[in-house]
Amino acid sequence: MANWTATVFENEYLADGATDVHAVVTVACAGAGDAGSSGGDAAEIVIIDTSGSMREPRSKITNARKAAAVAIDAIADGTFFAVIAGASTPDVLFPTNGEMARADARSRKAAKDAVMRHEANGGTAIGAWLECADGLFESSGAAKRHAILLTDGKNGEEDRDFEVYMQNVAGRFQCDCRGVGVDWDVKQLRRVASALLGSVDLIADPDHMADDFASMMAASMGRGVASASLRVWSPQGAKVMFVRQVAPAIEDLTAKRTTVSELVGDYPTGAWGNESRDYHVAVRVAPKPVGSEQLAARVQLVVGDEVQASGLVRATWSDDSTLTTRINPAVAHYTGQAELASAIQDGLAAKASGDDATATVKLGRAAQLAAETGNDEATAKLQKVVDIQDAETGTVRLKREVDKLDEMALDTSSTKTTRVKP
Amino acid sequence: MSACPACGAEVAEADQFCEACGQALREPEAVAATSPVAPADAPATAERAVPTDSAATMATVVPPPAGQCTCGGTFDADGWCDRCGQRAPSARDHLVVTLSPQLAGVSDKGRHHPRNEDAFALSLVGARSVLVVCDGVSSATDSDLAAVAAADTARDVMTAAPSAPDAASPATQVEYYSDLWSQAAHAANAEAALIAQHVGGQNPPSCTFAAAVVDGDLVVAAWIGDSRVYWLGDDGTALQLSVDDSWATEQVEHGMPRAVAEADPQAHSITRWMGADAADPTPSCGSLAAPGAGWVLVCSDGLWNYCSGAADLVALVKKYDTLDPTRLAGDLVDWANEHGGHDNITAALARVERTADTEPADTEPADTEPADTRSS
Repeated sequence: MANWTATVFENEYLADGATDVHAVVTVACAGAGDAGSSGGDAAEIVIIDTSGSMREPRSKITNARKAAAVAIDAIADGTFFAVIAGASTPDVLFPTNGEMARADARSRKAAKDAVMRHEANGGTAIGAWLECADGLFESSGAAKRHAILLTDGKNGEEDRDFEVYMQNVAGRFQCDCRGVGVDWDVKQLRRVASALLGSVDLIADPDHMADDFASMMAASMGRGVASASLRVWSPQGAKVMFVRQVAPAIEDLTAKRTTVSELVGDYPTGAWGNESRDYHVAVRVAPKPVGSEQLAARVQLVVGDEVQASGLVRATWSDDSTLTTRINPAVAHYTGQAELASAIQDGLAAKASGDDATATVKLGRAAQLAAETGNDEATAKLQKVVDIQDAETGTVRLKREVDKLDEMALDTSSTKTTRVKP
Repeated sequence: MSACPACGAEVAEADQFCEACGQALREPEAVAATSPVAPADAPATAERAVPTDSAATMATVVPPPAGQCTCGGTFDADGWCDRCGQRAPSARDHLVVTLSPQLAGVSDKGRHHPRNEDAFALSLVGARSVLVVCDGVSSATDSDLAAVAAADTARDVMTAAPSAPDAASPATQVEYYSDLWSQAAHAANAEAALIAQHVGGQNPPSCTFAAAVVDGDLVVAAWIGDSRVYWLGDDGTALQLSVDDSWATEQVEHGMPRAVAEADPQAHSITRWMGADAADPTPSCGSLAAPGAGWVLVCSDGLWNYCSGAADLVALVKKYDTLDPTRLAGDLVDWANEHGGHDNITAALARVERTADTEPADTEPADTEPADTRSS
């Protein structure tokens, strides 16, 4: 049985008239067990882009086949699985009876054979591939549903159609997305990963594809809790400003709220292994007189309808400015990390549209924030796109020649955060 | 599953409070007291007095009462309203304990703090009175829990120890009780530090410590931080036995005029405390042979903020003109509230009567001199 804890980090003291309460809640899970171990089946689908572009260079499709094979090998016995080849239309390579198969030595070999035989041809229709995966998952009845999606190109679907697909599948399974090469669109895959509570990353070297797939599948197999939600109670008259996951990566959950009761909402967090994640919860409450104290939020982790862990976010109005002006280090850190992510994304978008002035300002702010919050990975990736002249003031110059891969690496990793230094 | 002892509703083994009626099912391990739990809003009545020939103790841990919030919501098991988020009123908001006609204490949350983070514990063994006051540091998390644990633990150590040998010289008795206070403070500090493990967060709960044992006319005080011990004689003699471990005291020692030091915003920063991050829980000690009849007052800064000098305090006590410690403690607390009630207020009092062989004696400082003798 999984063991959960929730720890609240906040400065509960508010100045007279202040209304906004910010807290970082660290939720940790231990003893999660393996996927499918705590009731309900697990299901995995591997979706490989097999559009015509995957043939150029040839190493892309051969590496993709190898990666799919490695991922299939990592699927535990008894897990439902399927393999989809994605082109202008999705083609379920295995199994071929319109359902999902139970993994064993024989079914895994048959799936790998089908993958090796398949030739790349046609266009890219990510929305249709995901719809196909959703149908397969539904037929399996599995409780824990996870997919890996690999693509090398921009989606060929109309934006409007893609959006409809995304709304239909959002939250119905989890999907980790990987892009190979430089022709795919970071924003599109981020939209998929966000709707499907997964990660997005780029595979710079096709040779690394197999390792990446193996570790993604291993991580999924290690998530023994199929689905959990963050439940937030806020007092009558209060407003939840936002709920966002802030570690290990930033994911805004605010719009994903489902109403439990008048004062309570649930935010999906997907499957859990033995891990900890941080959530930044911000609540706006009605101001109370100095000396008053109130509960601003109960933040709970629920599995099914059972509360597993509970954290209390408090507010205390005080006229002691040594208390009210303190900024909680965790809240400050993740506020900075969230701003860092949007500064990078906005800066790169401005650069792509030819607005160098805005790009310089935004990426300069990003360099400043990365240095301030000790995010060395972001600093290293920023240095490949801009020359950082003074990190303290955020003074940067755009590099004239930038490798497209470096820019995409900066973009995809923008939401990854570092933990607060103790 | 088992049943709630109060209402009979089904409760889970892990529950701390009954979901149905709010009855406390078990106390947090580190705060568990062996002594009886005081009923909510214990009235200060003579019936509560206990025979002086047996050890008497009174716990200050009281579970949050169940019931309805003023907004119409219900107080959840975690002690907060499930509708408006208001904290359930606690019996600790205003606590009165009368242990004998000579020994009593009152603690109040004051007018500006949302809850009472002061704690006090009293005991009476034979003719020996023990008074402990701990003031939870409000800038740390859940310091009230540390204060309750520390006060109860120190009191229990003193209660369990035998009296000083009758034939012992005054100096030996002072040494005996100073050693006991050191043991009591170390035990209290360990319990306060344990609370941090339950609370978590970066600011471990912490508290001050001020205590006195009164045995005949001998008073031995011990302290860490800025809660105080005073002697307030009926004849107007007054003395502060403790010396604050505070920024202001340090500045005065370095030559800053007391009035300037105490007016500084940092004046109340304490330099020593109890808790997980305490440097050394060995208390400073001081002693006094009571020169006549009077009061031993142990109090938190919520009281002395409005009346710092011992001479001012003795004048205030004279004004109330009572021999009832419960009444006098209540009067002092009310007085502090009338003057602003900016902090939690706690006053614990032991009455010392003139005995036939009591002769006026000089103070006998153990390792520190009383503050008033060195004010500039």
